[in-house]
Amino acid sequence: MRGKTWKGRLAVFAVLVLVLAVMAGCSGRSGGSGGSGGSPSSPAASPPPASSQAPAGGGETGQTARPFEGRSITFVIANHPWGEAIKPLLPEFEEATGMTVNVDSFFEDQLTQKLTVQFASGSSTPDVFMYRPLQEGKLFFKNGWLEALDGYVSGSTDYDFADFSKAAVGSTTVDGKLTGIPIITEQEILYYRKDVLAEKGIPVPKTLTELVDAARQLHDPANEFYGFVARGQLSPLVTQVSSFIYSEGGDFITDGKASINTPEALRGMSIYAELLREYGPPGVLNMSWPQAIGVFAQGKVAFYTDASSIYQNATDPEKSNIPDKVGFAMFPAGSAGSRPYNVTSWGLAINAKSQNKDAAWALIEWATSKEIVLKTQKMGNPGARVSVWNNPESTSSYPPELVEVIRESTKGGVDHDRPTVISVGEAREVVGEIVQRMITGASETEIQTIADEANKKLQEIIDRDAQR
Amino acid sequence: MPYSWFDRNIKWIYTLPAVLFVVVMMVFPILYTVRISFFEWSMSAASPPVWVGLKNYQELFADSRFWNAVLRTFYFTFAALLLEVVLGVAIAALFFRRFRGKDAAKTVLMLPMVATPVAMGLVWLLIYEPTIGAANRVLKSLGLQPLSWLADKHQVIPSLILVDVWEWTPLIALIVMAGMTTLPEEPYESAEVDGASAWQKFVSITLPLLRPTIIIAAMLRLIDVLKTFDIIYATTQGGPGHASETLNIYGYVLAFSHFKLGMASALLVIFFAVVMAFTVLMIWLRNRLGESS
Amino acid sequence: MRKKHAFHYFAVGLICVVLLLFSFPFLWMLSASFKTQAQIMGNTGLIFFEPTFRNYVNVFKEHNFLKYIINSFVVAAGATVFSLLLGLPAAYAIARYHMQRLGMVILIARIIPGITFLIPWFILFSMAGMVDTYAALILSHMLVVLPFIVWIMIAYFEALPREIEESGLIDGCTVNRVFLHIVLPISGPGITTSSLLSFIFSWNNFMFSIILAGDRTKTLPIAVFNFLSYSEINWGGLMAAACIITLPVLAISLMTQRYVVSGLSAGAVKG
Repeated sequence: MRGKTWKGRLAVFAVLVLVLAVMAGCSGRSGGSGGSGGSPSSPAASPPPASSQAPAGGGETGQTARPFEGRSITFVIANHPWGEAIKPLLPEFEEATGMTVNVDSFFEDQLTQKLTVQFASGSSTPDVFMYRPLQEGKLFFKNGWLEALDGYVSGSTDYDFADFSKAAVGSTTVDGKLTGIPIITEQEILYYRKDVLAEKGIPVPKTLTELVDAARQLHDPANEFYGFVARGQLSPLVTQVSSFIYSEGGDFITDGKASINTPEALRGMSIYAELLREYGPPGVLNMSWPQAIGVFAQGKVAFYTDASSIYQNATDPEKSNIPDKVGFAMFPAGSAGSRPYNVTSWGLAINAKSQNKDAAWALIEWATSKEIVLKTQKMGNPGARVSVWNNPESTSSYPPELVEVIRESTKGGVDHDRPTVISVGEAREVVGEIVQRMITGASETEIQTIADEANKKLQEIIDRDAQR
Repeated sequence: MPYSWFDRNIKWIYTLPAVLFVVVMMVFPILYTVRISFFEWSMSAASPPVWVGLKNYQELFADSRFWNAVLRTFYFTFAALLLEVVLGVAIAALFFRRFRGKDAAKTVLMLPMVATPVAMGLVWLLIYEPTIGAANRVLKSLGLQPLSWLADKHQVIPSLILVDVWEWTPLIALIVMAGMTTLPEEPYESAEVDGASAWQKFVSITLPLLRPTIIIAAMLRLIDVLKTFDIIYATTQGGPGHASETLNIYGYVLAFSHFKLGMASALLVIFFAVVMAFTVLMIWLRNRLGESS
Repeated sequence: MRKKHAFHYFAVGLICVVLLLFSFPFLWMLSASFKTQAQIMGNTGLIFFEPTFRNYVNVFKEHNFLKYIINSFVVAAGATVFSLLLGLPAAYAIARYHMQRLGMVILIARIIPGITFLIPWFILFSMAGMVDTYAALILSHMLVVLPFIVWIMIAYFEALPREIEESGLIDGCTVNRVFLHIVLPISGPGITTSSLLSFIFSWNNFMFSIILAGDRTKTLPIAVFNFLSYSEINWGGLMAAACIITLPVLAISLMTQRYVVSGLSAGAVKG
């Protein structure tokens, strides 16, 4: 019996090879629709079905008699502490709704690759997935891969969507449409060495100028101690230089025009580059966060700026030599004040081709309900719900100082940490190039030419977006 | 002739299953990729691919990043391949003797290939880390200047070549060792009578007899070095700047970071042609050398 | 004679140095797998440190590693065996009848950059309902492995002394019989080496597995990524997992080599 189905599959496969080969060879539609024929659905035209049949995540679940009995959906998550937190809670949800949730998890690059291949082939799976709104959200949505969620949200009575922080929702909104529900938020903060600062009598820097001064005073390369560290790799650095740019009054794009060659933007970038060039450890050009926080956690650096979400790498005694010597501070103010990014780093979305959209929404509704967000946040996953943040229980496991910094950062935070274009990957390389050239010590006039050139490239990317 | 139909057509019966399998698996991907290379497409479900003719190719040929990737790929490939072949043959020669624990030694030699490339990439990342890594620690203990390794645009390719040589030299060594088992006894016996030294025997008997095997090992390796991906992606992702971006990395970036499938396909088609050309060259070389000997 | 002995010991000494050099990063990894993250980053010595076994415990407790090992084994063994079935006769015919053009066609499979296959194969296999099956993984890995086996064996068969086969043909054997009963039995070393290397290629294949495997058929290289996450790299766990992954291959390598040397073709093997 088994052998037969196996052979059958192979036969189908062989026939498919021939058919598709002929199709690809002749004209007709591209393989993009998976050869399934039929016109692809346009994203704007897919109206969200009323989700009222879905049980609300909160208390209602118990009363409705397992509305999704026998259904099963696929749920793809990133390797992320949030995934680890949600997995053990899923059986409860399956029990209440009767559906089976098949979970699969991947590292972020592979997640993007896998999702891209599946969507490009017109696959109806996965139904629900984690995605990075600022990195891929715009492209995924424009490509018609994401279901717009506005209708689902407004159709859900107990959900209280207004409870989500504005900046977080801003990160997942494309062209006025809600493309995903925020699950993880993060801000750029300043990590510092409490003991070193106290010993030298240096106060915690409140401004970028003070930060540069303090880094200079503490920089002691002869003894393998460095003033400052942060990401220096081409693309990874862009998100972390963003707060420097904002705090000097610049942005990647201003009023729809590329603005990475403005004095404000360049000032922000050059402070970041100066810190890394003059007071950084060797080898910053190949550092993303794992190397950067690795050097910091080894106790070799005084200051470090990066996302709040990775703090455990510095405070966990298993991972760090300085677990109780780490201080957290608000991102230092530049000439335009302290304006760190405050973004949604991960969201949940529904595949526009999913055949189980109602069940998919039920899962998202449950996973982002107040009750579950409280649980996941308690386990170290900073969420996007204001009411949960106001509940002291939700942050009981965080260092109190960090909670204060996060709360402060969310007030004036900027809702993006990279250029908000469709081709984010391309745009990040353009920005990263300027900063890397600054780190390797290009002169000021050189930098202006490089930046003008980069600005032109970014503008081309923006213009191309407008045509889509 | 007593031979049956089966025996008369044995050469086709032996080869066709393999050839058919390969063709069936390849035909759709090849046609798909060649086709998409004439289109502009972000893989969108909302808007179909747009026919642009040769534009993707023209843009690539005008793109300095592409040409740099081509040159870098060649530099990386030839340096790594040369070292791997020389060292691989040398190691095989060293192993061409009886000694206790030879099986175990061969197995140890396999370690670099067996360990998952991604994990080994991360291991090398830490070894090369300038502040906390082992590489600089070794240099310092020898009284040498520490290096930046992967973080310097001039040092990054040599550093990666070192990783590739470490990982794949054993492949050549093992293939050559297998080839050594086919060597006939007689030439060695007569050379022994003539009083030839071990080195003379190696140069005048072993090497010429092994040449076809060595060339095939080099050819298989050449194809794979040109396509090196894992270790570069796991350690530098093509950086700093684009200083370690090879053709395969650039193709991956175009497809899965820039989401330009048309452009990526054009690159893949060109890339295929390049690898193909080198492979044909190797086979031609092998036949020429085969005739002369 | 004494000089010869001295040279032998010198060579064996050199072999030891070579082995040490090539296994150093691996030893580093082995040592790291017994360290905490702080120790790994701190570059504590290779041998003298306070070891922890927690990484290994975690690998088996938190992840279903045994399942991944079985999946990887089935796929790698399947791909290797089927490739041998298709590849050995092909290689023999190509070597004997100088059909290098056909050899080239097979080689194209390895020349094509892997990315080329991802989307088309996903379309194909998902339409055939074969995503997340062993069959899909084996078929895709065979494309990597088959050209490799074929070309190594072409070189091997060409190098075999022709007299052995000719004596068989004179005795009235068919080519088929010569291949099965004379050539294959003396090709042990070539077959072992190419199969082992093929097994390793399949065992470590990441690019095709990530697209075609699913929850049921997830293989080891994909599972290794469980130790990398958005805000945390579990270095210790990763090193432990990477060490565990190598063990089955090493065991297979030792076993096959012993078998080949002692059994199948003891007479023909030299050195």
